[in-house]
Amino acid sequence: MFEQFREWETNRHEYAQEWKERTGGKVMGYFCTYVPEEILHAANVLPVRILGSHEPQNVTEPHIFGMFCPFCRDCLAQGLKGRYDYLDGIMIAQSCLHIRQAFTSWEKHRPREFSYYLCMPHHVQSPRALPYLTGELVQFKEAVEEWTGNTITDEGLDHAIEIYNDNRRLLRSIYDLRQDEHPPLTGEEAMEMVISCQMTDKEEHSGEMAKVLDALPTRGNGRDPGVRLMIIGSEDDDIEFINMVETSGATIVVDEHCTGTRYFWNEVEPRDDRLEAIAARYIDRVPCPTKDWEDRSRIPHILELAKKWDVAGAIVMQQKFCDPHELDTVAIRKALDEAGIKTLFLEFDVTVPIGQFKVRVEAFLEMLSDEDLFD
Amino acid sequence: MITAGIDMGAKTIKVVVLRDGELAGKSIVIAGFDNRASAEEAFAAALEDAGVSSDDLDGVVATGAGRKSAPYSTRDVSEVGCDVKGTIKRYPNARTVIDVGAEEGRAIRCNEQGKVLDFALNEKCAAGAGAFTEAMSRALEVETESLGAMSLASGNAVPMNAQCAVFAESEVVSLLHAKTPKEDIARAVHDAIASRIVSLARKVGFEPEVVLVGGVAHNIGFVDSLKRALECEVTVPDDPDYIGAYGAALAAAEEG
Amino acid sequence: MATKQLYETRQLECWGKAKEIRENYYRDYATAHDRGALRWAGGAWTFGAIPCGLGEDVYSITSEPYAASIAANREFSNRCLEATERAGYARDLCSYMRNYWGSLLLDEFLWGGPFPKPDFIWQDHICCSHAKWYQVVTDMEPEIPHFSIDVAVGPEQEINDNKVNYLVGQMHDGIEWLEKVTGREYNDDLLIEAVHNECRATSVWAEICNLNKAIPAPLEEKTMYSLYVLGTLMKHSKVVADFYEELRDEVQDRVNDGIAAVANERCRLMSDTQPPWGFLSLFRYLEEFGAISVGSLYTFGLIGLWEVKPDGTWGPRTTPQQLGVEIKDRDHALRVLTEWNLHKPEWQHFYSPHVKTDMMVRIAKEWSLDGVMLHYNRGCEGLTVGIAENRLGLIEAGYPVMTFEGNMGDEREFDLARTMTRVDTFMETLGLKKE
Repeated sequence: MFEQFREWETNRHEYAQEWKERTGGKVMGYFCTYVPEEILHAANVLPVRILGSHEPQNVTEPHIFGMFCPFCRDCLAQGLKGRYDYLDGIMIAQSCLHIRQAFTSWEKHRPREFSYYLCMPHHVQSPRALPYLTGELVQFKEAVEEWTGNTITDEGLDHAIEIYNDNRRLLRSIYDLRQDEHPPLTGEEAMEMVISCQMTDKEEHSGEMAKVLDALPTRGNGRDPGVRLMIIGSEDDDIEFINMVETSGATIVVDEHCTGTRYFWNEVEPRDDRLEAIAARYIDRVPCPTKDWEDRSRIPHILELAKKWDVAGAIVMQQKFCDPHELDTVAIRKALDEAGIKTLFLEFDVTVPIGQFKVRVEAFLEMLSDEDLFD
Repeated sequence: MITAGIDMGAKTIKVVVLRDGELAGKSIVIAGFDNRASAEEAFAAALEDAGVSSDDLDGVVATGAGRKSAPYSTRDVSEVGCDVKGTIKRYPNARTVIDVGAEEGRAIRCNEQGKVLDFALNEKCAAGAGAFTEAMSRALEVETESLGAMSLASGNAVPMNAQCAVFAESEVVSLLHAKTPKEDIARAVHDAIASRIVSLARKVGFEPEVVLVGGVAHNIGFVDSLKRALECEVTVPDDPDYIGAYGAALAAAEEG
Repeated sequence: MATKQLYETRQLECWGKAKEIRENYYRDYATAHDRGALRWAGGAWTFGAIPCGLGEDVYSITSEPYAASIAANREFSNRCLEATERAGYARDLCSYMRNYWGSLLLDEFLWGGPFPKPDFIWQDHICCSHAKWYQVVTDMEPEIPHFSIDVAVGPEQEINDNKVNYLVGQMHDGIEWLEKVTGREYNDDLLIEAVHNECRATSVWAEICNLNKAIPAPLEEKTMYSLYVLGTLMKHSKVVADFYEELRDEVQDRVNDGIAAVANERCRLMSDTQPPWGFLSLFRYLEEFGAISVGSLYTFGLIGLWEVKPDGTWGPRTTPQQLGVEIKDRDHALRVLTEWNLHKPEWQHFYSPHVKTDMMVRIAKEWSLDGVMLHYNRGCEGLTVGIAENRLGLIEAGYPVMTFEGNMGDEREFDLARTMTRVDTFMETLGLKKE
């Protein structure tokens, strides 16, 4: 049922190139989910999230100091190795220091016809952020119009917003089904679905999800869900790891991470000023750790997810060297602990020692099952 | 003119004696706890091999990690400098020297005059040296010497984390438990080190002729991995561990 | 490189005064409550001029300099780092933060006594860690109110009203917040005075660094650290602005008299990022080769404000006072403060390393450098971001570059012996021998 998503995710480059040929539109590679995709969509640009390939490489050392996260180096390696040569443009919306290096090195050494650095504000908890970002989006919109030669109208934006909101609602609906005592899909399937969403045309993706949403209630996969878990992290697309966890007697029923729910959780609410409406969505969305201050808004959100999806434990998938997430982890684990949810902390690199992690995961699951017995 | 060069390496001490620029004698000794005593031992053996006494020497230069505690030397020159001197004398077309020793990997770029243009050394996050192969051999329960041949017998590239030595060791254990053939693991280990070394080489921008020196150059598995990762030919001297000491002896002759 | 000769040297006369200012600063903060005064905590880049409007009895402690002071005391630093690790924080986090939190967790102030808690936190945010640093502080001490101002609005070439309004808007909100949490009424005159002092202090610091273009250099970097630090403590104060003018005059005299910082200056280098604070002897080691670090973008531009002069070279930024600008009211003061700071050299590289490379190449040219030593500083991502590209850019521009890995605030991650060996090799490639 989820094969199409896996196909899109595994053959992401072929998909994008085929899309280009078919539609004649431009493809924009982007780093960071704060990029306002709706504006790109309204200019007939396909935004594709740049992710790594989980292979060891030796090409980024001259460009990025080894103490920055493996993910940003893996992303840059894809560019340096020519795997994304079909991109017409690259852009980033300002979030963490690490990933912006992938953008700035890519821009210099593999330049595209268009590149853009959007100064997405960090102080999203301030009322001043909205007018500021709206102003930045006005400039961004003009730059995209000049690049593509397409005019971005209010109608175009309305259309894009509707398509994106529709896509988000479908994702949320499918996620809601995971609240069931017997979730009809695995965390691995959900991950394929969400990752593929970040690299395909939204309408196509929604079309596929509509089919899946129809079929899921009667799927009856007869699978013992085992222990209900959530995963929390920065950027995660370690499908192999998720598979290992779920074949060890568990199901991942919900997540809170960059390539997961943080990408799609919030919709654009309508406003007269379309750019302001889009800006509001990105400011009010579940935040990346870099933007979650002065108050910790991630914590009540995580606790609510854990409650609604009836989670027994959480795996904190810490990307090695990811400072922003490391700054949140202690507080998050404490809050989960106080709410009676045990956490397993694992550090991730480009490749993972599946065997060693399996030992830890199995011990964690055993501990959680034992607790069930005595509840 | 008779000169000597002492390379006080982390694991071994090498001494080379030159007579009028030609190799007259050499010796290699495992560095003991008292590395000065080991150096004296190596020095004596090299002199005997050359059939000279210490009074015959016109100059002695020391290099290597422990060069400050070398006996007999009148001055010291960096490993980077000696590597280049030794290499360019033998291979005048050498433009990149890669030295992989027990504890340190280096990539050096030089010009035809043997001037060092740029150099890079392995940093904190590195599975890029000989000590790593020793640790991996232990994990695989084989002799370090046979690791090279074992990896050549593999036809399979198994990806292994090349960034962190601790993570990599974890992965070897995982692979063993997953019944991965030892040959494939051995190859993965060499590929991982080669990847680290090539990262260093890219930092200085490598160009042919690339010459590989240092103890790990004896490891045919590593040499194979390195050639594949660099995508170019690599020249390996017959006595790669001695190039540093050779360069030091040449430096001693320069002073006159 | 100059041929072998010995320059005349002379002790810095105002050295003692610099020490005194720094000592007073920390003592005033620690004892503030004894006098019924206010005290606050924030980063070195925070808009320190703004809390000045709360009265003439407002003292501060800035995070990075305090943490650097801890780092220089390796024994205490290790205890702080271990306390932070026991509390569950990762070792690769900014080492300044880890030293600072440790001091808080141990409840030990570096100069004795318990850690004097601030009345409020007033912070800026540009690197990932800034506001989060103090968010963790409030995790530990929930009663301390916290306000941070986001300044990450892009490079100076792209400044526009929208960006300035964002900062000024946050500042207005911040002042309302300050009145609320302190119960004090805000005095705009004190703000205006502080803004003028800040512009003066930071411009004069650049003037001092500019004088180091002279050969021989009148100052060397290790000494400059002890002088520029005052700007990281209270760039908004009259004391520091006045001191820098005094220092500038003395340095000018040194240039006029041909006084050198290092008598055997033969080779001029620059460094980058914070130095390994526990191992400043590295700079003395350079002198054995006749090599001197004349500064860095860090020392020049962390606090100093610069501009391109009519002759195309870098020089101290002309202050609003010098331009005859009279600050009319609060909003005007905040705008002047915002625009002044948005031109800060060390704020530009956050958006592109290539901009930083241009500045570094400029320094190498105008300060007549023979080489560069880059500290690949694992302790600070904010200043190390893009450093690998800086290295490539400097090499492309024809400068010999040496890199050494280390940590400004975690001595366990710095190997002095190994670094010195690397320096030996680098000096060898530059054709320099020890004297």
